[in-house]
Amino acid sequence: MTIQFQSIDYRYPGSANGVFDVDLSIGDGEFLAVIGPSGSGKTTLLKLLAGFARPAAGRILVDGRDITDLPPEKRRLGVVFQSYGLFPHMSALDNVAYPLKIRGQARAERRARAAQALERVGLAQWAHSMPAAMSGGQQQRIALARALVFSPSALLLDEPLSALDAALRVEMREEILRVQRAANIATLHITHDQEEALSIADRIAIMRAGRIIQIGTPKELYDQPVSRWVASFIGQANLWEGRVGPDRRSVRTPIGELSCDTGEHAADAPVTVLIRPEAILPGDLAPAGTNILAGRVQADRFLGAARRVDLAVGEGLVRVDTHSRAPFDTIAVPPKSIRLLPPEPVSDSVNAIGERT
Amino acid sequence: MLLITFAYLLFLATPIALLFVGSFGESWSNTILPHGFTTRWYLEVAADPSFQRAFVSSIKVVIATCVLNVVIGLPLAYAIYSSARRGVRLAAKIMALLPIAVPDLVLGFGFILVFSSDTAPWLGSIGLLIAAHVILTLPYTVNTVLADMQQLRLHDYEQVAATLSAPFWTRLKDIVLPLLATSVLSSLLTVAALSIGEFQISNLISGFLSRTYPVVLLQAFYGATGFACAATVVLLLLAILASCASSLTASASSRRA
Repeated sequence: MTIQFQSIDYRYPGSANGVFDVDLSIGDGEFLAVIGPSGSGKTTLLKLLAGFARPAAGRILVDGRDITDLPPEKRRLGVVFQSYGLFPHMSALDNVAYPLKIRGQARAERRARAAQALERVGLAQWAHSMPAAMSGGQQQRIALARALVFSPSALLLDEPLSALDAALRVEMREEILRVQRAANIATLHITHDQEEALSIADRIAIMRAGRIIQIGTPKELYDQPVSRWVASFIGQANLWEGRVGPDRRSVRTPIGELSCDTGEHAADAPVTVLIRPEAILPGDLAPAGTNILAGRVQADRFLGAARRVDLAVGEGLVRVDTHSRAPFDTIAVPPKSIRLLPPEPVSDSVNAIGERT
Repeated sequence: MLLITFAYLLFLATPIALLFVGSFGESWSNTILPHGFTTRWYLEVAADPSFQRAFVSSIKVVIATCVLNVVIGLPLAYAIYSSARRGVRLAAKIMALLPIAVPDLVLGFGFILVFSSDTAPWLGSIGLLIAAHVILTLPYTVNTVLADMQQLRLHDYEQVAATLSAPFWTRLKDIVLPLLATSVLSSLLTVAALSIGEFQISNLISGFLSRTYPVVLLQAFYGATGFACAATVVLLLLAILASCASSLTASASSRRA
């Protein structure tokens, strides 16, 4: 139950878009999310795996079986589409039983198995309803049941949650994860929602302009992004242009000089400095050995569980997420929370805070 | 708006109502309504051998036209829909629209020129008549079905079925045909009504023994008013009957699929 992309190349006819040099492997029972902005090639990856497009170069293996040249109907993959694709002229039960019908199962047997599959997604009592009479969340569950009922070799999810409203989306991602774990099946999940990917994936591959630029566990991607762009794409990020201090024990940034571990970076080397907003503490809560900086509050928003404060510090702007409700005008930056990334142009980020304009 | 609707219905319904009244009238000249009640006009129409033959010819032509519309129109629409190339789609669309744009008379004279030659002496055969009806009605089938395919996003359902391991012919039988049944049915209603009422081309190219009902009907207007009315009412019933029959057949076949 594994999926492997080996040096896959694909270019859309008459355009520069596509996917290039993709190597990716999804283990047995692993849930891998592919995220990236629109046009980054993540949906192309799914099309290549499902068989709706053939790569120009490279192989795709499922369970060690080379499926590169097989048509979609011979690939034995469960796919849940963005629009669900429930057949409107069939009841929920008939939809789920359909792949079993194609496999030549007797009517009684396939209906029993489809009923079980519906029960697993909590929709047993909806078996005889038509898709048009069901809510988005219910249709989603039926599509999931249908994609898994024939014990496929792998599961493909193409932005299955994007058509749902926010509250239902959170509920459904738990449901998807539960069903995926029960089936213990290698899963490729395509999404543009980084929060969704962080919350359900075992590993995340982040794509940009047709290439995978980092693969890792959600924690690795969040804590050790390889570039400014990845840091800004996943979660909130304070990002500044900085320069390693001459003694390599600190870094100079627009908000001031911060002591930290400079790792491999040479003295005076230009770097990008990343600090997550929740890693910064109000100054009065500071443990010993942290960088204390004074600032001026620019915006203070109450978000319920947390509070988001933007402060002007030195030449820069700092975003702080804190649970503290007390007012503060000094911040503490623990050295361990500071990450130095390769220097990159400021423009190369998605929604970074930090540089004052 | 209400007034316009009312006036429209009046213009539409009054002639039909008067035809109906006239068909049962004993004699009708220079009065608003006919005098007396009789069913003899209907009996005369029924007994007239040329009307009998025309009635049968019309039914044959309608059935053949409907069947050929499904057999040719459905694959044609599917081919146009599936073709990725823009040029193919455009060419097919123009070809399918041409018979609507070209006046029937032009087509009819063209047929006469081509099919009265020695190499293709088929003018007057029922086959040629059916061919002409198919050419005239095919655009309605292709356009209706094509629009339905696009609106349904048929391709998405086919992709889903493919991932569930359904090969092409299975997808066609289980997904494509049932989903398209409604639009095929509604296009056949139009096709049947058009074919029954078609006059221009039928009048030009039908042979003496294969004349359709509207062609023969024209003769009736040189005779008694009551006879003409009765013969026209029969055409109206025939049109309604053909539409109902074609829709019933289509729904029955879709249920079986």
